[in-house]
Amino acid sequence: MSRRVVVTGLGAVTPLGIGREVFWSGVLAGRPATGPVQSFDASPYGVDRGAEVRGFDPAAYLRRQDPAAMGRASQMAAAAARLALADAGLEDVPQPGRAGCVMGTTTGEPLEVERFDEALVARELDQVDRRFVHRYPSPVIPANVAAELGLSGPTAMIPTACAAGNYAVAHAYDLVRQGTAEWMLAGGADAFSRITYSGFARLGAIAPDLCRPFDRNRRGMIPGEGAGLLVLEPLEAARARGARIYAEIVGYGLSCDAFHMTGAHPEGEGAARAMEQALRTSGLGPAAVSYVSAHGTGTPTNDRVEVVALVRVFAERAPAVPVSSIKSMIGHTMGAASALEAIVCCLAVGSDVVPPTANFEEADPGCNLDFVPNRAREHRVEVAMNNAYAFGGNNASVLFAKVAP
Amino acid sequence: MSGREAVVVTGLGVVSSLGDSAAALHAALCAGQSGLGPPPALEWTTVGCRVAGALRDFRPERYLGADANLRPLDRTGRLLAAAAGLALADSGWTAERRSGMEIGLVAGTLFGSLATVSGFDCRALTAGPSYVKPLDFANTVFNAAAGQTAIWHRLGGLNATLGGASAGLEAISFAAQQIAAGRADVVLAGGVEELCAESVLAFARAGLLCDEHPIPFAAERNGFALGEGAALLVLERASRAENRGARILGTIGGDGRRFDPSRGADEQAIVAAVADAVAEALRRSRIEPAAIDAWSASASGGRLDLAEALGVARVLGEGAVRLPVAAVKAQLGETLGAAGAFQVAALIESGRTGRLPGIPGLERPDPRLPMALAGPAARELRPRRGLATSLGLDGQVAALVVELPEPRP
Repeated sequence: MSRRVVVTGLGAVTPLGIGREVFWSGVLAGRPATGPVQSFDASPYGVDRGAEVRGFDPAAYLRRQDPAAMGRASQMAAAAARLALADAGLEDVPQPGRAGCVMGTTTGEPLEVERFDEALVARELDQVDRRFVHRYPSPVIPANVAAELGLSGPTAMIPTACAAGNYAVAHAYDLVRQGTAEWMLAGGADAFSRITYSGFARLGAIAPDLCRPFDRNRRGMIPGEGAGLLVLEPLEAARARGARIYAEIVGYGLSCDAFHMTGAHPEGEGAARAMEQALRTSGLGPAAVSYVSAHGTGTPTNDRVEVVALVRVFAERAPAVPVSSIKSMIGHTMGAASALEAIVCCLAVGSDVVPPTANFEEADPGCNLDFVPNRAREHRVEVAMNNAYAFGGNNASVLFAKVAP
Repeated sequence: MSGREAVVVTGLGVVSSLGDSAAALHAALCAGQSGLGPPPALEWTTVGCRVAGALRDFRPERYLGADANLRPLDRTGRLLAAAAGLALADSGWTAERRSGMEIGLVAGTLFGSLATVSGFDCRALTAGPSYVKPLDFANTVFNAAAGQTAIWHRLGGLNATLGGASAGLEAISFAAQQIAAGRADVVLAGGVEELCAESVLAFARAGLLCDEHPIPFAAERNGFALGEGAALLVLERASRAENRGARILGTIGGDGRRFDPSRGADEQAIVAAVADAVAEALRRSRIEPAAIDAWSASASGGRLDLAEALGVARVLGEGAVRLPVAAVKAQLGETLGAAGAFQVAALIESGRTGRLPGIPGLERPDPRLPMALAGPAARELRPRRGLATSLGLDGQVAALVVELPEPRP
């Protein structure tokens, strides 16, 4: 069995706001949601920018579970799942036995391990949470989502760091396509943490003011947090129930640089292979792609290598394809990043508008494509390509397309 | 996998507390040896850990080269890289033969390295954030071991990490599906977990660890022992394996995965989840329940052992009473993200050698257990269609059928 798979629901908890509409209008406005870190004292780091989700009240979204019983990433994921389901018009969950949830993350529930570490440092081992093994490890996130919705189909956690959202969408797509699941929730989630902040600060990767992907004067990324979830279902089922269809998932590619843990391959070799596999499995050529949602972290190296990879795949057509990075606005939301970017791809396909790369001031002669500087643009989007790259050399590209009749 | 080409197992790489090959591990299991013993550090006992399955003399340079710079790899990375090297060698994929190929890697793990994550953060807390080590930061992500192993062995194909205590089995299903769909040619699939003071503390605080020795399915079971290690299967398309004359150890059958929204709190719900996962695995394998002739259980000495057996029995019906059962966690401990891969490796070796390990220490099985377990000793048995099940910590259930070849004349 091989079924066509479409996206019919979107749920987002982001630094720009909560819910698809707020997120999308913020992204189209090119409005950066980055600012001084509030959730911990950032004074020891030498940088202080972050992209935190403000004013999030999980109790407003969760119905079956006590938000206090789970960590922040799970809270955001479960809230985004509720939003995605409502957006899909599936609030009364149909056939929960054949529906499941695949999630991605970079750090799991980092605030839980931080509390664990504080107890270790204070030598107060009896203060370690008895439920730590049920609160911290990565699989608790899809478990909390599935338990919130009463789903009993397949669940999985694919913690492939900053490409994890794309991996999760790809795996859920396979499960629906092959008929293993009737429908799936897929996405990614990550909570803002001092662990992540310490690491990127130590690498010198955090921008001092704004995240400026692809700009000549880009100085780094800005850590963020959030959750993005998508409802995936068979095209036929979506049509039968008259659902709004954002986009069809038509293929994906996964590869590994096998080169360096934290740095991309200088020739963009693995990234290009992921894009090429996505195109090949979709039966499409590079000419079919009308928009690329870039990984675009804003670090000097990532952005340069990403352009090299895009030119490898798109060749002379590369300058004609709009490429933008919403990390300029919501920072790098880690495991949520490519899930939120997948949501943007679905909305771009659905509305024929592409989001801008914000904070763009000066083109970099060494890496110059159409980055949709600062202003959203009306542009017919037949096929959107979502690219994500991660620590460990994991590369993932997913293709979203208008539904051909 | 219906309608698609079969995915076969052509090699095994195992680093365990009972030996560094699948054959050695299986022989030790059948001999009733245990990889468990007193915890390697005194402070583990003070938090309530009385027995653990540590690799006491794991020397990564034996597998990765005496001159190798192992500094970038933490213990989890070293365990996985060692198992990957052994798996590649076992399947005949020498460095020379695989040049120009993109071999993949799919690894399950629960914690990645909790020692690394916690150590990184504790250093920031005590010395200040500018004193953390960039090398450590790279290893804080859950996919670090798979990334490091890919770099080490130049594995440029599909690379994924699955998170959970059932992820070792899920990784095998995931990789097989990627191969069957034509997305990958050769993939190493399995799992890894390290034993460290931090995970011991975490599980001890949860009250999940056993008093003396863990005895799966026992009436008086009171918890599991933590173990560690890595196990990887080499998976490839049957035609490729046949063309290169590779030894075929098994064929990956159908899988099933379910979630119990009660997360194991409601016995009926977890039993139903296990039964549904097993039924799906059989359906996708296109075999009848009676065809299953061995079961490699997730049972660890913990609370859910009985529910797992009841779920399997619900699908297998009357045949369940006589179903031969292996429970490797009796001797390896609970290796979390690696466990499912160890269970499959043990099944494959049982198919190859015609011996199924017993369950040492099991003299008084749970009275509600639907299987008439044969007891502590190994027995002569050559399974042809084995079932492996793996339960996560929070309601995850995975099941997989593995077909084992006829013995060669």
